[in-house]
Amino acid sequence: MIAPAFKKYVSLARCSMQNTLAYRLSFILNFLASFIGLIAMYCLWQAIYTGQDQLSGFTWSQMQAYLLVTFFVNSMLSYYSESSITSKIIDGSVMMDLLRPIQFQKARLAETLGSCVLEGLLSCILIGLAAIFTFGISLPHDAGTLLLFAFSIVSSILLKFSIVYLSALLCFWTTSSFGIYWARTSITNLLSGALVPLAFFPGWLQSTAMVLPFQGIVNTPVTIGLGMTAGTDALQLIAIQWVWIVLLWLLGKWMWSRAVRQITIHGG
Amino acid sequence: MSLIETKGLQKVFRQAVKDPGLAGAVKHLFTQRYRDKYAVEGIDLKIEEGETVAYVGPNGAGKSTTIKMLSGVLVPSGGEIIVDGRVPYKQRMENAQRIGAVFGQRTQLWWDIPVRESLSLLRDIYQVPTDRFKKNLDVFTELLGMDSFLHLSARKLSLGQRMRADLAAALLHDPKIVYLDEPTIGLDVAVKHRIRDFIKEMNRSKGTTMLLTTHDLGDIEDLCERLVIIDQGRIIYDGKLQEVKDEFARERTIHMQLSSPIPDAEELFRGLPEIQVKRSGDSLEASSDTDLSIRFDRFRCTASDIVKRVMSRGEVVDFRIDEPSIEEIIRRVYDGKLDSAALSAAGKGSA
Repeated sequence: MIAPAFKKYVSLARCSMQNTLAYRLSFILNFLASFIGLIAMYCLWQAIYTGQDQLSGFTWSQMQAYLLVTFFVNSMLSYYSESSITSKIIDGSVMMDLLRPIQFQKARLAETLGSCVLEGLLSCILIGLAAIFTFGISLPHDAGTLLLFAFSIVSSILLKFSIVYLSALLCFWTTSSFGIYWARTSITNLLSGALVPLAFFPGWLQSTAMVLPFQGIVNTPVTIGLGMTAGTDALQLIAIQWVWIVLLWLLGKWMWSRAVRQITIHGG
Repeated sequence: MSLIETKGLQKVFRQAVKDPGLAGAVKHLFTQRYRDKYAVEGIDLKIEEGETVAYVGPNGAGKSTTIKMLSGVLVPSGGEIIVDGRVPYKQRMENAQRIGAVFGQRTQLWWDIPVRESLSLLRDIYQVPTDRFKKNLDVFTELLGMDSFLHLSARKLSLGQRMRADLAAALLHDPKIVYLDEPTIGLDVAVKHRIRDFIKEMNRSKGTTMLLTTHDLGDIEDLCERLVIIDQGRIIYDGKLQEVKDEFARERTIHMQLSSPIPDAEELFRGLPEIQVKRSGDSLEASSDTDLSIRFDRFRCTASDIVKRVMSRGEVVDFRIDEPSIEEIIRRVYDGKLDSAALSAAGKGSA
């Protein structure tokens, strides 16, 4: 039996899933577009690897797996989830949320996770297809690594949500979402290792990236999944993910209360 | 203690002051100046359980702002609010659980999922027991005639359907208090009636307290015994609808159709105070001369007196009496034509 207080968020997640299905065509098209991006990256890296066995510790087959895992992680929490938060703030329907006995941050997380289920399913299918054509994936073989990998992916989604949520809240002050969306996307893509593995970065940038939360989104699950970090190192990376999740969640909570005061006291 | 009580409730919004033109916009980037705008300026309101109160005023009078403060969405700048023993903006979640609200301009339904699903989601959000949810949904579906569109998503609904669904959504968890911000805006007559009947029925059967803002005076006459008029952030009248009518809608007009014209009709009413006689139409046309309109103060002479005098001179074929509509009264208040001191005195008298 689920506690009723929790059940409301489960229902929200379910509705968000239905909502995503309502937009299935444009959802799938959007997905295919990023899949094309994946193919482009694949060809690019293939060209780079011509005549090379290994680059910065990555073999070509590891690189292929890297691309696929990155695609999977990046397709979670797509533009749809992000824009559903920002548009609430920008068109003022955040007021309707304040009228209900729900907490904004938890409600948004629930909705995001709801659509992530669909996004995850769809990208699994596409990755499955890609794997058939490339034959180059070396995913973890032992159950322990697989478990850690799965757990780090879940943590990665929560971490990404925390970051997206924070940047969405900035809309309270900017009243426009595009600049924030692009800035957040490019910073996340660069510093998470989604564009280029962090191992390819110059030393200073790599160490900068490692102290920031973004690396937990792509770098952590990917290196665990590829077996490049294992055992206590892997656990440590996951622990770092969680430290960030908790910190950013609290920061989000604080920022929300500030933002709400802003609109409710001074008027939007 | 009343169910809803506010004392000296205030809301000040900060408005950015920008100089005109591009130069002004650039200047605003560096030096921000703000001006305080009072949306609500000291409102004392007491509403008892089970009341239906019309909250009326021109655009920008502060109606919606008051409702948003009562529902816990806005934090007041000053004064006190207690709703059902709670301070709404401090205990937002607890307050939200006990109120329902319809903002006519916004929907609380999910845009892309069927209405039925939206309502089930609200069931979980408000933790409504399944059997009560079922019962309410059945009753609402029947009363509001929602059967034909429960399976549609909100984006496919007409305005009238959407408003009905919104009303159902607001009342599904049997809230003690319901705020209705222009619930009949832009609706056709049939839907309006349906919504009014529904509101009346909920008030009657469940004792739900209702506070509604509206520009539709039919809503007021049909639903509310009590009228609160607000202008520029202040209450200028609070009292019974009937009393404001007695006080400020004293004049009546009798329209009579005579079998033959009475040439010097004015002479008939000599001795009666404040009588205005109007002949409709031009005297060029003989037939319209038989229509006579007489305006009088109903507290100073009676309709029968006037009709009697006319009948002594000619035959009355048909007649009807007009009273000023509540619309006209409120329009006069908006225009500042009524002495607001007299108005509030009348309000105090009734309280």
